[in-house]
Order: sequence, then structure tokens, then C-alpha cells
Amino acid sequence: MKPTVDKLKEIAAETLVGKKAELILGWQKGSFWWQSFPAFIEKQEELDSLTWDPFCVANLSIYLLEELKRKKKVALFVKGCDALAINRLLQDKCIEREQVLLYGLPCKGMADRAKIEAAVGEELSIREVRRDGDEFIVLTDNGEQHLDASNYLLDKCLSCRYPNPIVYDQLLAQEIDTFPVKERFQSVVKLENSTFEERYLYWSGHFNRCLRCFACRNVCPACNCRECIFDQNEPRWLGKANILSENQFCHLIRAYHVAGRCIDCGECQRVCPMDIPLQELNRKLIKDLNELYGDYDAGTDPEEPQPLGTFKLDDPASFSES
Amino acid sequence: MKKLKKEKLTELWSLLAERTSLYLPVDEGGSVNFLPWEKGMEVDLDALNSTIPPKSIFFQQTEVYLQYTTEEDGLKFEEITPQGPAVLFGVRPCDLKGIQLLDNVFLQEPEDSLYKQRRLETTIVALTCTKPDSSCFCTLFDIDPGAAPGADLLATDLGEEFVFTAQSEKGESLLEAIATLLEDAEADSKAVEEVRRQAKAAVPTHGLDVEGLKEKLDSMFDDPIWGTFYRRCLGCGTCTYLCPTCHCFDIQDHTRGEEGLRFRCWDSCMFGEFTLMASGHNPRPTQKERVRNRFLHKLNYYPKNFESYACVGCGRCVRKCPVNLDMIEVIKALGGVTSGSC
Repeated sequence: MKPTVDKLKEIAAETLVGKKAELILGWQKGSFWWQSFPAFIEKQEELDSLTWDPFCVANLSIYLLEELKRKKKVALFVKGCDALAINRLLQDKCIEREQVLLYGLPCKGMADRAKIEAAVGEELSIREVRRDGDEFIVLTDNGEQHLDASNYLLDKCLSCRYPNPIVYDQLLAQEIDTFPVKERFQSVVKLENSTFEERYLYWSGHFNRCLRCFACRNVCPACNCRECIFDQNEPRWLGKANILSENQFCHLIRAYHVAGRCIDCGECQRVCPMDIPLQELNRKLIKDLNELYGDYDAGTDPEEPQPLGTFKLDDPASFSES
Repeated sequence: MKKLKKEKLTELWSLLAERTSLYLPVDEGGSVNFLPWEKGMEVDLDALNSTIPPKSIFFQQTEVYLQYTTEEDGLKFEEITPQGPAVLFGVRPCDLKGIQLLDNVFLQEPEDSLYKQRRLETTIVALTCTKPDSSCFCTLFDIDPGAAPGADLLATDLGEEFVFTAQSEKGESLLEAIATLLEDAEADSKAVEEVRRQAKAAVPTHGLDVEGLKEKLDSMFDDPIWGTFYRRCLGCGTCTYLCPTCHCFDIQDHTRGEEGLRFRCWDSCMFGEFTLMASGHNPRPTQKERVRNRFLHKLNYYPKNFESYACVGCGRCVRKCPVNLDMIEVIKALGGVTSGSC
């Protein structure tokens, strides 16, 4: 059974009435069929705005950093990827487990607006897209169209390994079977097999386009520093000029700062207005860490020591050459 | 009116590029932007809006304007002036209006000499829209997607050919320079008008109405609504950097040893550092004040100074804001609605 909007509204109502949390983080519809954005629900009359549809991609857990400064307890809906982000924040000691009430939502993947528009070809007339089993049902002015959902998912959902939330207080629907996914290191291996010059051209081409808007950093659950190095101006580590060297510095430093902590949710790449394949950069580091220190899945267990956050006295690789 | 067959476009680019810098909407891997044209580039004149608005040609994201060196008898300065003339081809009517709104700011006293020089030396060829996007709303701000008053040359896409209408002396001299490629198009005037009329009719209204919104906002500085908008804002600079009317900048020095550069670069009111003062005080301490500033600037402050809303309805914030805190959402929530929905 899939979670329904009514179920979300019902559980949210119980939460408010029972004073189980002061704030509920969910999603609400925007003006367009492809817009479902974060909703902040504190009053009963706001409950009706809640939605759950194939566009509820935004990870709500990142708002905890700010909201928990004012609230004692926050309830939120978490998909599989969002639950990994919760573990990220727990392990980084940004939040306490008792401060959050987690309603788990098994998720078969979110829809890609552009792919649906390309298929339907009448973008001005799409009214609504909803999921029914393995299909997206597209309501247009000219009737319904049924699409095989697996062909119209966001790219990041195509390699989803955790469709079911790994941490929650209550699961709002039955766990779904994991489905076959695209191998996530495919494009990394392809890059590894290219020459140094090819790789440099590839990345410099992408970083040349960077706007330095910081959407990638601001949406990242692993970017939870109280003050980011990129915002420090005494000294100013990252120059404000939008030139290749500064842009490369920005992205390589960010990749290293989240190395071993990146949960591979792909939000950085999704929100990038310039379509820079940032997830590939993070996946290269995940792959390297797996090869160096053994397989590790950040965000799956907040108690497990992190490869770059722990040490062993009998570490076979010593710091000195002797 | 003159026309050019589309198969002659590459010839046109070569001809123009011989005599001037030529900026065209180029596909750089999924993202179309105005770049200096070179042979072999994939020009995309069907893309509706470039990802980065063409304001970046006149108001560059990073612009070095002073070089300095320390010598025995003191600091030596060298001014860097913008490159010479250019042709900017394919500017959509909304983006042209965006440039004109920037003119109000940069060309009033004290004039911004860097901006002015580029503006005077550039010939703008505007391109009317044929198929507006569902997130377009230019007509809300009285912009006609089938016209571009103030452009030097107006181009209309008739499918197999572009029809050009000169609207200034610069436009006329450009047509003369490319005359060998052109044919007479007086007979096409009806077809051109029809394309332009259809474009205007195709822009969705979204049920929005901004009549009186500027005045309404005069008393909304302390309205609780700002306390709800900002909560979902990620504080990134996507909306401001992609906005054709945002024009804030910072000035920075880059000094290494005895040499240095002074440059200006885009800045964003979404960033905490934007109003951070040397004392450590920040008059916009949280995202609430920053989001309020962005929308009041567009819909209240700028209109008070220049008698025009500082939004051209291009829809970039609608398409690109990661959390949909965009102009349509905000105008609706502020009450700028007549009826219905999108």
C-alpha cells in the first residue's frame, strides 16, 4: 500500500493535536504541477496544504539546523534518501534523536519535469501528474496519459539504493521491494579510464560554468558547518572572482570536506542551475574510500566509525615514511 | 524589412565575426548562454531564454578594471578598459527590458563608465518569441514578446527565415553590412505581424495582477508574510544571479606580492555577507530580512525610483529556484491576483 496524502494529513493532525511536535515539515503544491515545495505546518488550518506527489523531492531534514534553534521538537516526513540525511545530522551531532519525530515514506522515485514534458509534448496543458503503481498518470487538457514511471524519474533516483527510510519513528506505508538500479559508479569508472587531459577538460568545462550561487552547498546535509570556509572573509580563503581557479578550488574543497560523509543523495547536482555533474565528483571520493578502507555507506549507521573520522593505533599505513 | 534564409546563418556569423565581437546563444552542454562566437560552436536560437541572462555582456560577473604594481616611487595604476564594439544577437524581449532596467541604474549620475562604454558600442539584435514557456509572464509587466522597443534590430522567426526590422541607426548600419546575404521582405509583413501577435496571445497570465501592488507593499514591511516565505529559502544565489534585473556587485582586490588587480563581481542579497559591516553588525541578520529585501526591491523600491517594476517575467526564478520561492508564488501570496490559477 502506498502512502496517501490523506494518511499524511491524518498523521500530521494527530501530531499537532497531541502536541507531539511544535512544527511539521512536509510539502505543499506550488502554482505549477511540477512544483511541490517545503511546507512549515504549525497550525491545524495549515494541514490541508500538505501534499505527497511525485515532485516532493526536497529533503526536509536540512531545515532542522535552523528550526531546532527555536523549536524543541520537529516532526518531518522522510523518504529513503532523507533518512540517510537524518543519520548524517545525528552522527555529526547537529541534532539529537529526541528532537525529531520521523514519519517514514517508502519512495519509488521522484518525477523529472523535463522528461515528462518531452514525452507529453504539450507542456502548456499538463494539469497534474500522479503516481499509480509503476505508472505516472499525466492529466492534460486533452485527457490522461499513462507513462511507465521508470522512464521518467529524476536521474538521481535511477541509482537509488535506499527507497525505504532507514531511520523512522513510524512508517506510513509498507516497505517497498528494492528495484534494479543503475550502477552508481559507472560514470566515475568512465572518467577514471580517460586521460588526465580529457579529465581536466571535462571538469574545467563544467567549473567554468559555475555561477558560485552555492545552491549545492546550501542544500547539502553534510554541509552543516556553523560557518562555511567559503563565507569567511578574514582571511578570505575563496576569492569572489568567478574564474576557473577559484571555482575549482571551491568545488574540490567542498568535495573533500564532505568526503566520507556524503550520503550520495544527489541533491547538489539536482539543484545546480548550471547542470554541473557534482554527484560524480562525490562518487569518485566514495569509490576511492571504499577501495582504500573497505565498503562504507555514509548515513546508514550513525554509530559506525567513519573512515576519515577515526584512527587505529595499529593502522597499517603510518603517517611517516619510516 | 529584410530577410535572411536560415541556411545562411553560419555565413552571417562569419561575416559579423570578421568585423566585431559576436555574442550568440550557444549550447554549452545542456545550458544555453551568450558566448563570444567561434567557428564550430552550436548556436541555439530556439532556446527561449539563455540560462544566464544577457545582462552579463554589459555587467560582467567578474570584471577587472584596474591593475596596480608597487614600484620604488610608489603605486602605479593602469586602467583596463572594455573591449571594442560587439553585436549581441538573439536577445529576447524580456531580457532586453532587463537591460533597459539596468540602464536606469548604471547610466544615471554618476554614470558607470564600464557599463556605458559596452552599452554604446554594442548593437543588440532582439529576437521575438514564437513559443513562450508555461513559466513565462512578461505580459504582466506590459512586455510584448513580439516586440522589442529600444533594440537596434528586431528579428522575427518565420520558420525558414528571419525577418529583420531596423529600429536605430546602429541597426540600419548592421543591415547594410550584411546586405549581401539579405532579401527584401516587405511582402512578409503580414506573416511577421501574425507571428508576433500569436506570441503575445500565448503568454500565460497565471491569474496575476500587479495593479496597485507597489502601493500595497508600502505598508507591508513588517507584515508577518515575510516570516513564512523565508523559511524554505536555501539562501543560495540562484535567483539573483539568473535574474535579468539584479545588479548588485562587490569590489575586491586580488593582491599577490607587488602586483594586484581590482575587480568588481556580482553579489547577492541572499548571502549573509552581503550587508555585513566592518563593525560586525548586520542590518539583515537572517534570511527573513534578505528575502524581504529581494522582493521589496523588485516590487517596491525600484518602482519608486524608476516608475517600473524590476521584474520582466522571464520565468528564470520560477524554473530554477530549488524550493520554488519564485516571483509568481510571491506575487500570488502578496495578493497580486485577479482570478484563477496557473
